[in-house]
Amino acid sequence: MYSGKLCSKEPVKTKEQLQALLKDTRGKTYYKEMQNLEVDTDLLWKTIQTTLNSRIKTWLEICSRCGICAESCFLYLANDKDPTQIPSYKIQSTLGEIIKRKGDVDNAFMQTAMETTWGKCTCCNRCAMYCPNGIDTGVMFSYLRGLLYQQGFVPLEMKIGAGMHRIYYAQMDITDEDFIDTFEWIVEEYEKDYQGLKVPVDVKNADIMYTVNAREVKYYPEDLAYAAILFNLAQENWTVTSKGWEETSLAMFAGDWEACKIQVKHVYEAMERLKPKRMIGTECGHAHRATVIEGPYWMGRKDGKPPVESIHYVEWVAEALRTGKLKINPEKRIKTPVTIQDSCNYVRNGGLKDITREIISYIVEPGYFVEMEPCGENNFCCGGGGGFNGIGIYRNHRNKGLTVKRDQIIKTGAKLVLAPCHNCWDAIRDLEEEFKIGIKWSFLKPLLIDMVEIPESMKPAS
Amino acid sequence: MYQFLTGFMFWVSVSIFFIGLFVRFIFYFTGLNWRLDRVAYKSYPFYGIKGALKSVFKWLFPFLTRVWRKHFFITIASFAFHVGAVIVPFFLLAHNVFIRGKLGIFHSIILNQLTADILSWLVVIGAVILTIRRIVLPQARILTRGYDYFILFLAVAPFITGLCARYEVGNYSFWLYSHIIFGEVFLIAAPFTKLSHLVLFFASRIQIGMDFEIKRGGMKSKNGMAW
Amino acid sequence: MFKTILLAASADHACDNAAKSAFRLADLTNAHITVFHVLGMPAHGFSQEVIDVKTGEKVEASEEYISWVKEEIKIYYAKQFEKTKSFDIKIAVGMPYREILREIKNGRYDIVTLGGTSKEKISVYKKHMLGSTVLRVAKASPIPVMVLCRPSSSFLKNISSILFCADFSKESDAAFNFAANLAKFFNCNLDIFNVADISPVFSKNIIEQDEIDSQISAAYKKIEEKYIPHTKNIIKTVANVCEGIPYVEIVKYAREKNSSLIVIAHHNKENENFGSNMEQIIVRSASPVISINK
Repeated sequence: MYSGKLCSKEPVKTKEQLQALLKDTRGKTYYKEMQNLEVDTDLLWKTIQTTLNSRIKTWLEICSRCGICAESCFLYLANDKDPTQIPSYKIQSTLGEIIKRKGDVDNAFMQTAMETTWGKCTCCNRCAMYCPNGIDTGVMFSYLRGLLYQQGFVPLEMKIGAGMHRIYYAQMDITDEDFIDTFEWIVEEYEKDYQGLKVPVDVKNADIMYTVNAREVKYYPEDLAYAAILFNLAQENWTVTSKGWEETSLAMFAGDWEACKIQVKHVYEAMERLKPKRMIGTECGHAHRATVIEGPYWMGRKDGKPPVESIHYVEWVAEALRTGKLKINPEKRIKTPVTIQDSCNYVRNGGLKDITREIISYIVEPGYFVEMEPCGENNFCCGGGGGFNGIGIYRNHRNKGLTVKRDQIIKTGAKLVLAPCHNCWDAIRDLEEEFKIGIKWSFLKPLLIDMVEIPESMKPAS
Repeated sequence: MYQFLTGFMFWVSVSIFFIGLFVRFIFYFTGLNWRLDRVAYKSYPFYGIKGALKSVFKWLFPFLTRVWRKHFFITIASFAFHVGAVIVPFFLLAHNVFIRGKLGIFHSIILNQLTADILSWLVVIGAVILTIRRIVLPQARILTRGYDYFILFLAVAPFITGLCARYEVGNYSFWLYSHIIFGEVFLIAAPFTKLSHLVLFFASRIQIGMDFEIKRGGMKSKNGMAW
Repeated sequence: MFKTILLAASADHACDNAAKSAFRLADLTNAHITVFHVLGMPAHGFSQEVIDVKTGEKVEASEEYISWVKEEIKIYYAKQFEKTKSFDIKIAVGMPYREILREIKNGRYDIVTLGGTSKEKISVYKKHMLGSTVLRVAKASPIPVMVLCRPSSSFLKNISSILFCADFSKESDAAFNFAANLAKFFNCNLDIFNVADISPVFSKNIIEQDEIDSQISAAYKKIEEKYIPHTKNIIKTVANVCEGIPYVEIVKYAREKNSSLIVIAHHNKENENFGSNMEQIIVRSASPVISINK
């Protein structure tokens, strides 16, 4: 069976392979090799037989093909109601077809399926709320991603991302040393501004173990400093772990279930080693989904919960503001029209809608907050979820998809968009770059830093 | 002929219908796998039941969910179709008399003639609207295959033939036979075709309700998942 | 005095002034120079598309592109490189100020030189950031930061005097040591200058002249006690204090005295004040400004 040097059914296992993939500009060689990739139809059918259970089978069977799901999909709306963008059509013409043909599909079919799976669905699960039969097409696409990944039909960046987790236990090539080093370095920069600021590393039995997104370490280390400052201001007994500090999982986007397990196991081991009271993840949606919501199942934890109580950063912020651990200077509350982007991964799929609204009640001057329409669980995906942001070959699909969010934001008249999710933040940044609608966007941390009152004991020494 | 259809075939089709659907319903749940589905079905019974009930209930009545409100027209057509399709076969006087002859059971809720007529017509009209919708709307057209029309036909044929018999259009016994045959075909086909959504609708809704309630934030938001 | 100099620059005119000073400084001190260029933020995931900081265009940060950029820089600074003892060129990807700070942390540099950026090309990446690259680097850099935005008449051709702006903070002491060392090294004059800040008058807080006078004499006394004892090996040290808006007075004084270099402390206490003063001095001064942080 043909196997390319870069594009094969084998997952990335060495740093050299990763380097080779990273060097392949725009995946020229990778996608060229994909043209020759053979489909292991036996394996495909065998995998389906062992993993496809009554839920997905039933979904595919009882789909009334009524088309009600069409308007639930932002990509359908963004693409001028192109019928081929209907969730039902997308899944029936890919997964449905594979099953109908008992796995007997060819290279061209798989490549089309790949485009549909990563370029036409962000697994935002919005359609699940709109189907009378309770069919969750997002879940099925996630399943299909696994099948395609196994066959090697996966976009370059997803292959790399999953490989990163396998090698670095992080979505980017950042070692444990890099992480601690960067965290300490960046906190050092702020020591003068906040007395007593420090990063406790590997402290056992702390109240909080903080986990991050590797992108913060690589490109936005300020975010780490802000987290440290806010924990210190709130006088939390917190720590970071020198191993298992990465909360995200591009492996989940890639459908590399084995890597998902490798990654989340690493984090859970850190929890078990340090025994914190709680784990708090950074302002990232899919990281929460991967480590807190899906992770327990990859690890086979029957109660569906991580080893220690794990919450999203917004939950901690709401709690800190509610209990007065963090105090907002009322004069510094946001006084520009502001809206919030609800992240699919922890709002629709995590139930934290009310929590973010509570935060807004503390940090935004009454009268300045405008909801998007629709919002909460019904909000549309930012346009960049599920790995969509990062995939080069589907960039045009993605940019087209952003128009729905753009129009939603314009309609609110907001000048600032709160985006407590890395993917949403990135997508909104890109939509501003693409369409220039004159908005600002922000995580919560930098806004809070400007708003919170600093206790005397932490003010800079004079 | 009549004997065969109302005797042997009656028993066969009714058995297949009930046993078949029951088996499908049970198999749906035994086929679930908490690890593959990534839902801790059994760990949180309270939330599981709550989510399941809510997910079924809200979709069982018109306009309780966002979708039912948003798609006004199809909601009306769909409910008109389904309400009649479920109620008429069970509560029609003629059916009741027939079943008493067979089983000796007679239940007291009987539709009066007018209601039965209206409901039956609603089924037919609903089916027509749903068919037209499939032809006219691009988002339905691209999804619809011959099979979907066939299923719709299977569902509505007993009503059309039943109405023809009721109004004695032309040859009464032709329509009566057709009615019985189509009715039995429906019963036999139900467990094996998409008509199984008769029970699998509930199964699927129960699952997704539990899914969102147990795993995807139902325990964290004030009102659980807002359908 | 300096062994290695980091020149953080894109090969374009916005950085010319800073680059000239850096090369001149390298010349004077026989230092190695590292030209450091940041390509910009990568597009997401692992696509190698980056927004070029210089052009604002999307480019592929492939190996070829990087070596092309290096070649560009080599050609752009060809004349200067000729005279330099040794040099190298480094390219990084990311947020410019952050990558510059990272490079400072990882390398062994004695001073970093920065230029201004061309304002019209500010990309969307910067829009959400507060403050400029220069201010952010100056705030956090553990080594002296030299900035020059405007064309200078001398470009350090003749280093005749160094202007040290004192404010008596801890950071200011470090800045003084640095300035004194420079004066010794270049064998030139040292001007110690302090401004009694009268900017509160603009918010209608009238300050009595007596108060200003006492501030001025106190400043003189402090200079006398703190700094003068350490100026023995400097050919000529002059202390001067006046009242006014700090940045205006500093720029004026530097022009009057024909100062070759301005050394100023960065301190966090009056963060906002520093920001604006520092920025104003940088923008207005015709001499390179060196900011000292610790």
